[in-house]
Amino acid sequence: MMLPTIAVLLACALSASAATPPQKMFPYPYQQHDFPNGLRLITVPTDFPNVVSLYIVVATGSRNEVEPGKTGFAHFFEHMMFRGTKEYPPDRYNDVIKKAGASFNAYTSDDLTAYHTTFSKADLETMLRMEADRFQNLSYSEDVFKTEALAVLGEYNKTSASPGMKISEQLRGLAFQTHTYRHTTMGFLKDIQDMPNQYAYSKMFFDRYYRPEYTTIIVAGDVNSEATQAMAQKHWGAWKRGTYTAPIPKEPAQDGPRQTHIDWPSPTLPWSVVAFRAGAYSDDTKDTAALDLLSFLAFSENSPLYRKLVLEDQKVDMLRADNADHVDPYLFVIYARVKKTSDMDSVREQILATLAGFKDTLVSAEELDKVKRHVRYSFALGMDDSEAVASILASYVALRRTPETINRVYDLYSQITPEDIRNAARKYFIESGRTTVTLTGVSK
Amino acid sequence: MRALLAVLLLLPVAGFSQAGQMVALPGQSPLVNLRFVFLTGAASDPAAQPGLASLTASMLARGGSSKLAYREIVDAMFPMATSIHSQVDKEMTTFSAVTHVDNLDAFYALFRAMLLEPGWRTEDLKRLRDNTINGLRVNLRGNNDEELGKEVLYSKLFGGHLYGHHNLGTVSSLEKLTIGDLQGFYKNQYTQANLIIGLAGGYPKEFLARVQKDFASLPKGTPAASRARPAPAPIQGLHLEMVEKNTRSVAISFGFPLGVKRGDPDFIPLLVMQSWLGQHRSSGGRLYDRIREARGLNYGDYAYIEYFPSGMFQFEPSPNLARAQQIFQIWIRPLEPPTAHFGFRLALYELDRTIKTGLSEEEFQRTRSFLGTYVNLLTKTKQAELGYAIDSLYYRIPSYNQYLKDGLAKLTRDDVNQAIRKHLQTSNMQIVMVASGCEELKKRLLANEVSPMKYNAAKPDDILREDKIVEAWKIPLEAANVHITPVEKVFE
Repeated sequence: MMLPTIAVLLACALSASAATPPQKMFPYPYQQHDFPNGLRLITVPTDFPNVVSLYIVVATGSRNEVEPGKTGFAHFFEHMMFRGTKEYPPDRYNDVIKKAGASFNAYTSDDLTAYHTTFSKADLETMLRMEADRFQNLSYSEDVFKTEALAVLGEYNKTSASPGMKISEQLRGLAFQTHTYRHTTMGFLKDIQDMPNQYAYSKMFFDRYYRPEYTTIIVAGDVNSEATQAMAQKHWGAWKRGTYTAPIPKEPAQDGPRQTHIDWPSPTLPWSVVAFRAGAYSDDTKDTAALDLLSFLAFSENSPLYRKLVLEDQKVDMLRADNADHVDPYLFVIYARVKKTSDMDSVREQILATLAGFKDTLVSAEELDKVKRHVRYSFALGMDDSEAVASILASYVALRRTPETINRVYDLYSQITPEDIRNAARKYFIESGRTTVTLTGVSK
Repeated sequence: MRALLAVLLLLPVAGFSQAGQMVALPGQSPLVNLRFVFLTGAASDPAAQPGLASLTASMLARGGSSKLAYREIVDAMFPMATSIHSQVDKEMTTFSAVTHVDNLDAFYALFRAMLLEPGWRTEDLKRLRDNTINGLRVNLRGNNDEELGKEVLYSKLFGGHLYGHHNLGTVSSLEKLTIGDLQGFYKNQYTQANLIIGLAGGYPKEFLARVQKDFASLPKGTPAASRARPAPAPIQGLHLEMVEKNTRSVAISFGFPLGVKRGDPDFIPLLVMQSWLGQHRSSGGRLYDRIREARGLNYGDYAYIEYFPSGMFQFEPSPNLARAQQIFQIWIRPLEPPTAHFGFRLALYELDRTIKTGLSEEEFQRTRSFLGTYVNLLTKTKQAELGYAIDSLYYRIPSYNQYLKDGLAKLTRDDVNQAIRKHLQTSNMQIVMVASGCEELKKRLLANEVSPMKYNAAKPDDILREDKIVEAWKIPLEAANVHITPVEKVFE
């Protein structure tokens, strides 16, 4: 079958006005197949020639770290997945990768662990076979495990010079009391230092989560869906389904504003960070979509507050808001890096006044339309090669396990009205759900 | 292959009505990539004004035009979800952007005005100067020990050379730069002779001629001397620069100037060595295997034969950092302080071993095979494809993919091992360490104290035997060649 060109598909997706539900936002025809063991395969033939990108998404991340003392374990386990099997010890795995000229890596976040490899199309079956082997037959000794735990400490060290991780640790720890979002994906330093002693737990972790029902394989690029499905059946079909479901604690409603301050031991610019408890990712209710658009209306480069604080008054050199997609309710966070400590209070007040404004005043349809265009073009511009397509898809697959969720959520964006924005502001920007973190460095 | 969709056109300077050289990759994609490179950069900064090239580029990419204030430009670009990114290196200044073809006319009108009719507003200068100074003081010195170590290394390797200052400049120089300085630099350096225009994607045919005509309004100028820079002064002996700061680990980079660049006979042999010794952010390199995988000393260890900034944020190098003089560098990611001495010794030991032993035939074949295919991934995006094509114009080589594939096909193991012996050495190097308690570490290094390793797990005998050699590996540092600089003085 001739594939319609991406040009035609994207033109359809973008041509609809903000008021009319557009064609599907995810422009590629894809196939989604569920194997009897619970594994899901999504193949996305693109019109970028020759290259194939394979993303294997496991729906476990730091959210699944439910036991005390085990923070950072999902990420640590991502490291262990590169420690080989009997058939493919690390040297042989690397040999195959080198011969294929492939690039490969992995990452972990709150809700997912993703393993990704990009290579020439002729190597697809080799890669699917080798990946199937490590997902089913991972094998490592306690000595190797202890050594890898030190590499995780090295990863912590390389990030620790920046205040960002500290802010994230404090913000989460304060905003959440029971839910596992209360710790970062990297985990607490004391838990990282204890990782070498957790060999037995690591075996249990693999047994719980590295199972077909937690896993989605994305194959994007110069591929044939039917042939890919047959390869997946051959190499992944015998994988045994598991039984475990993590008891993720539910976070109670926040009962009042919370605040903390970090004294950073080196010179740095002050940060003022304000967060509100927000909703979970949703592709069928308007709340989260409205908050997403509100984050642009209030804090993007063309917002009145950005213009005032960054361009005109020049009191702030970084301002951004983030309503990051999460499986469970998370946070709407505003970050401001302030040039002078004496301006911190005023900047925070202006942020709060801006948010309060959205509760009182309806945004103009024209401004809302600009944001809707922005998010649609931004999505389209991001998909400039097969790896980017697979990567974008991976973040959504961890939430709803299908590319269709992209179409649904962008449909929701197109339906958001000024009243929806006001309703979301009134629902979420409440004092009792607010957490504030400030950080200042030592003076030079 | 991409070539089926895109025809690479290299058009030379043509007459009075068209500006610069052009790399055109027309295609069917609805995304249009623009990549305009001027052959000027930090090497063209006047000696007393480091940072001039960088701040000038910022004013074009993140400042207003003569008719529109920057806030109006931001407003206009926001619904298109695009912006202009600038990158300044020693010899190249790059302006890149991607827009949907729906918005090409509107976006190009802004892009053209920003590059050809800059606004030179004082408020833009103030904001961008602050950003640049904060980039040096906070983002680099304060928050990123690894990048800081690398940048200090580069500045030391090219001490007294046109490449010897940070691309962003120094704080004291930036504080003095005026609008007049920037305008002067723009007038002299942003010329047709220095310009290479890169376009890719589904732009209409007539767009190409329109762009060339517009940019013919730049002064004609004369071609930059960017390909002919002298070699930096050779390093004599081992030199250690220690940056004292409050940090929990020790970041190390070391290396020496390298007179080999793309197009030179030894470039591809050394590229094979680099990939084998330490392919960037990849497991399987020798350094990574021995320092991280076998011993768990840190997060990774890599080798380079070309300048590669921001390695902690990206897996592939940015194009358009082409230079006339390059570096050999080893990057040791942060070590826990008790193992820093040993980790550094181990890296030196491995470099020494590389020179003495070279690659085996099997290692050579495997690495050659990897590079021959991996090169396709370097140019997987249109921006990268444009960037590599522009770099190839600078280095006067065929397309990078072709250059590498042809070179690898002819290569032998002997070529690689001879190039290693010719260009690598361990006697004359600059070392940089970013650490807390430098004085104490300095003493241990100068005394060549034995630095035995203690592991949390059993290790194979070959590792333990090797450790016995490494723990006493002599580093012939002299006290006169070791300097400690407080972090707040760096790039000030």
